[in-house]
Amino acid sequence: MMNSSKPILRVQDVTKRFGGLVALRKVSLDIFGGEKVAIIGPNGSGKTTLFNVINGVYIPDEGRIFYEDNDITHKPPNERARMGIARAFQIPRPFPGATVRENVAIGALFGRFGHKISLEEALRIADEKLKLVGLYDKRDELAAKLTGPERKMLEFARALAMSPKLLLLDEIMAGMPPGKVDQIVDLIKEISEKEGIAVAVMVEHVIRAVIRYAERVYVLDRGEIVLSGSVDEVMRSPKLREIYLGTRFREV
Amino acid sequence: MDLNNIFFIIYQGLVLGSIYGVIAIGLSLIFGITRIINLSHGALIMWGAYTAFTFFTLYNLSPLGSIFIALVVGIGLGAAIFYVILKRLIGAHELTTLLATFALSIFLQELARLRYGLDYRGYNLYMGSINMFGYGASLSALYGGILALVLTTLLTLFLYKTRLGAAIRAVAQDPVGAYVCGIDVNKIYAIGIGLGSAFAMAGGVIATMYSPTGINPYYGEPYLLKSFVIVVLGGLGSVIGAYIGGLIFGLAETTLFPIYDYLNFHSPSSMALFTEFIILLLLLLLRPQGLFKR
Amino acid sequence: MGLREVLIKHLTLIILIVIYVILWLLREVFPEYSQLIITLLYYITIAQAYNIFLGMTGYVDFGYVSYFGLGLYGMAVAITLSSSSNMSEYIAILLGILLALALANTVAGVVGAIALRLRGAYFAIATIGLSQALRYLIEGAKIWGGAEGVIIASDLRKIFGEERFSYATITLPDTGIFILTVISGLVMYVVRNSRLGYGLLAIREDEDVARVMGISTTLYKFIAFLISASLTSLVGSMWALKITAIYPPESFNIAFSVEFIVIVMLGGAGTVLGPLLGGSLYALSKYYLGTILPGLQLTIFSVLLLVIVLVFRQGIVGELRSLLYRYSFIREVIR
Repeated sequence: MMNSSKPILRVQDVTKRFGGLVALRKVSLDIFGGEKVAIIGPNGSGKTTLFNVINGVYIPDEGRIFYEDNDITHKPPNERARMGIARAFQIPRPFPGATVRENVAIGALFGRFGHKISLEEALRIADEKLKLVGLYDKRDELAAKLTGPERKMLEFARALAMSPKLLLLDEIMAGMPPGKVDQIVDLIKEISEKEGIAVAVMVEHVIRAVIRYAERVYVLDRGEIVLSGSVDEVMRSPKLREIYLGTRFREV
Repeated sequence: MDLNNIFFIIYQGLVLGSIYGVIAIGLSLIFGITRIINLSHGALIMWGAYTAFTFFTLYNLSPLGSIFIALVVGIGLGAAIFYVILKRLIGAHELTTLLATFALSIFLQELARLRYGLDYRGYNLYMGSINMFGYGASLSALYGGILALVLTTLLTLFLYKTRLGAAIRAVAQDPVGAYVCGIDVNKIYAIGIGLGSAFAMAGGVIATMYSPTGINPYYGEPYLLKSFVIVVLGGLGSVIGAYIGGLIFGLAETTLFPIYDYLNFHSPSSMALFTEFIILLLLLLLRPQGLFKR
Repeated sequence: MGLREVLIKHLTLIILIVIYVILWLLREVFPEYSQLIITLLYYITIAQAYNIFLGMTGYVDFGYVSYFGLGLYGMAVAITLSSSSNMSEYIAILLGILLALALANTVAGVVGAIALRLRGAYFAIATIGLSQALRYLIEGAKIWGGAEGVIIASDLRKIFGEERFSYATITLPDTGIFILTVISGLVMYVVRNSRLGYGLLAIREDEDVARVMGISTTLYKFIAFLISASLTSLVGSMWALKITAIYPPESFNIAFSVEFIVIVMLGGAGTVLGPLLGGSLYALSKYYLGTILPGLQLTIFSVLLLVIVLVFRQGIVGELRSLLYRYSFIREVIR
């Protein structure tokens, strides 16, 4: 489902350097409201840097970022969060000393509707999201005690609790068994369709998920967008194999 | 205020600054290698001062001799501190290591108090004076300043021209990388803390060459506070930075005093200290990485 | 909600109030222990106040003593002024309280603007710089009497009259401190269970992620800082009435800050009941060690501190919480 008027996120010619290393070179992409986009690329292609720039953790050296028509290139991360951009990190970063429930509640308290939500409501929303991702039973555990896959689900729930309009999921399926991957894909689709959230998913290896989930795909290689289009176009392109040559990937 | 006066003030600033520099090096070194802020730095300086005092009064050994004792004891003490206390705290939350080194400083102070009492001690170190720009300057202070410079140079040569020194610098830059290269990181940490402690104690000996009286268990406190400013000035972790930072600091102290005196402030020495801390705050605000790159 | 659930939910608050009532009763019933209890309250109150910043954000302010010192000076200066302009008792005290708050908030405002942007070690060093700068400025420029300090005993006699001197130097400040104990405890309880509290918790656990989640980290740190500084300055203002002689070195002594860092850590940083436990333990051990083994107090203290730091990272209350979080009522109590 696509809202085909204006994109909710427009990244325009963004370049980001770290000393001599060019992590992103004139990267441009659009994501429309409610869309499901996949960004794929081998290790080191700059995916996480791209998310960091969209998120506000880094400021690009060149280029601009527009969110719902606002120029957010220089806005701090907390403001972007309140505007509706939520992010799940590649290596999950839960608040270790807080319980699972508190972690997710914090997302609700400070996300898009944060200022309107009371503590009780935030906890209620947390419970709701935890049920969605299957962590409700562990809601009173300290986040530090969760396993790796559980932490990824916690990241996801926390990001959802922020009521985002744009959800950035960094390698959310990495390290998961195939059954779980399908589950996550279905969950993302369901949430995206029901709430109209635009979702951008970063993927390195789990191409199977990309095919099932995405409407459009961008391919990032060494800091540049080298391929983009519908899933079919991109998956069939011989260029894709070239890029991934030498990197193992899982086929359908 | 004539030219000779000004030169003399600069001379004094450099001598004092050289001493401040060698004292601050210990703090900077330990932080650079282990990322630990050693709050017991002041206590170690104090013990160095007591070492000079004890060996002079008991064995008539001049500080030029007791400094070797201080260096050796310092290395041993530092390594012991690492293995007993600090080893578990590498990488821990800052608060934890700050509290641990603070507890250590209290312990060292109390040991000194129980051994020597609270009274001020001093010894009669008079090596003569020398004519500097028409003023009489203490020779022991000059020797102290020169000794400080010598020690700093030796340390720098050690760090940059020896294998062990290279290993230390490697660990300071990237402990994991150094580990992967086969360097025994824990041993380096021990050596680093040992060296830092040694320099602190040696610094204490040298400090008594500048002022051989007024030694008590809290002798090291003002030096600790000043070391903070100096170390930030020179860049946390840089040995040369700490020394040059010390020189600048010493110059500032000696030049500020007459200025504040001239401006009729009630206590120019306190105002000089005030200025030094304001400089610290400004540095942290504007250029926290210090004036020099590592 | 049944009665049981209501009780559990507010268990921390109930325990808090019960302890305060007990402390007050103890003082009424055993007047000979009055000063010991006040010392206890001193430690508990400042620990509670400090906990709101240190415990909740994890930032170590070595210069925290400055706010206590400014509170001391605020009251002392107000008393001196009031005495020379013949103001009534309550105006004088009120002036002291207001001046203490004004001074503390001005300095905290400046520190907040500069230092809260710094991380970890740099923040700690900056706060050291601040407290020492204040001390040397006062001595160097002979502000408020400089190194000679401010002595207000005779001014108090003048304002309150000779017969009411003990009222002014004992009853009044003791009551004030007790009120502050209750206030700072309640403030901590309210903060901990509010949006601000959750934001601060997030900041302490992982400041970068907190920002990404929408928390205005700088603002929240600043608010916690001001609240914490204000409460401590008020304790200082009352304490000035007790000691009646205020000097720069003691008023800005970093060892004071460290004492409270230890207490907050000992009790459990960020918990509501932690400061009560830590403050009491500390005050009582200091008192009894002082009578049993005078002279060895600090030595033992330093060794104990080392042991605590190496073994009990989360403080007593924090450790209990980690062990027993499974039980809902423990979780509610040890928040």
